[in-house]
Amino acid sequence: MSAEAPASPGGGSHDSGGDQSPRSNVREQDRYLPIANISRIMKKALPANGKIAKDAKETVQECVSEFISFITSEASDKCQREKRKTINGDDLLWAMATLGFEDYIDPLKAYLNRYREMEGDTKGSVKGDGSSKKDAGGQPGQNSQIVHQGSFGQSQGANYGNSQAHLMVPMQGTE
Amino acid sequence: MRQAGTYSGILSGGICGRTGPHSLPLARIKKIMKKSSEDVKMISGEAPIVFSKACELFIEELTMRSWLVTLEGKRRTLHKEDVATALIATDLFDFLVNVVSDSTN
Repeated sequence: MSAEAPASPGGGSHDSGGDQSPRSNVREQDRYLPIANISRIMKKALPANGKIAKDAKETVQECVSEFISFITSEASDKCQREKRKTINGDDLLWAMATLGFEDYIDPLKAYLNRYREMEGDTKGSVKGDGSSKKDAGGQPGQNSQIVHQGSFGQSQGANYGNSQAHLMVPMQGTE
Repeated sequence: MRQAGTYSGILSGGICGRTGPHSLPLARIKKIMKKSSEDVKMISGEAPIVFSKACELFIEELTMRSWLVTLEGKRRTLHKEDVATALIATDLFDFLVNVVSDSTN
């Protein structure tokens, strides 16, 4: 590993250990997601006997921030073209699909819908008149949504066209 | 009554004060989004939630691809060089090549 790596938080002089690496600590809070969370997710992806070096975690940590910026910039451009000021979840899904991450779309939509079910439950009712039910192929009720999550995969194209409605409606005004 | 179980069971990943049911902290995601471009002015409440899951998928994918490189080298510890090799070998991750090219010469 090179000792001089000016622009890279993963390089530099922090081989002395310590969980909170002392790289430019003022901006770190703004630039990266916490390494403990990243490490936890990485470990889930490996077999039990797999180990992860600290420099690998830091590299992934940096990549994640780049990923967020990459997608956000694309989504932001789209909003500008359409003269909108707020980047919403649907813009991000669109950007991911555009940039080659279309495999993420279905799991993300399922995640969002589950999240909305939960929010709806805690807040008493879902605004947007049950729009998420469209996805479940006419299955009424909230638990069926969870059981039938596989149905999101059936018609990505159709669902995707639809998704603007239920991506935007329920959480509008929740900033 | 089913809801509590569903909440922790499906959405979990890191249940703690900072992240709630999501595995990554939403406020931090939002900060990184805002730093992406000066044009980013407003962000809907759902956008960081989308990212909390998207980043999880991204980290998993990157880690698994890197781990294959580790295994090819008959090792058991994933190192930065494995991540670098995986990034360079994957078209999808072209935008990340700068991250590793700075320091992996």
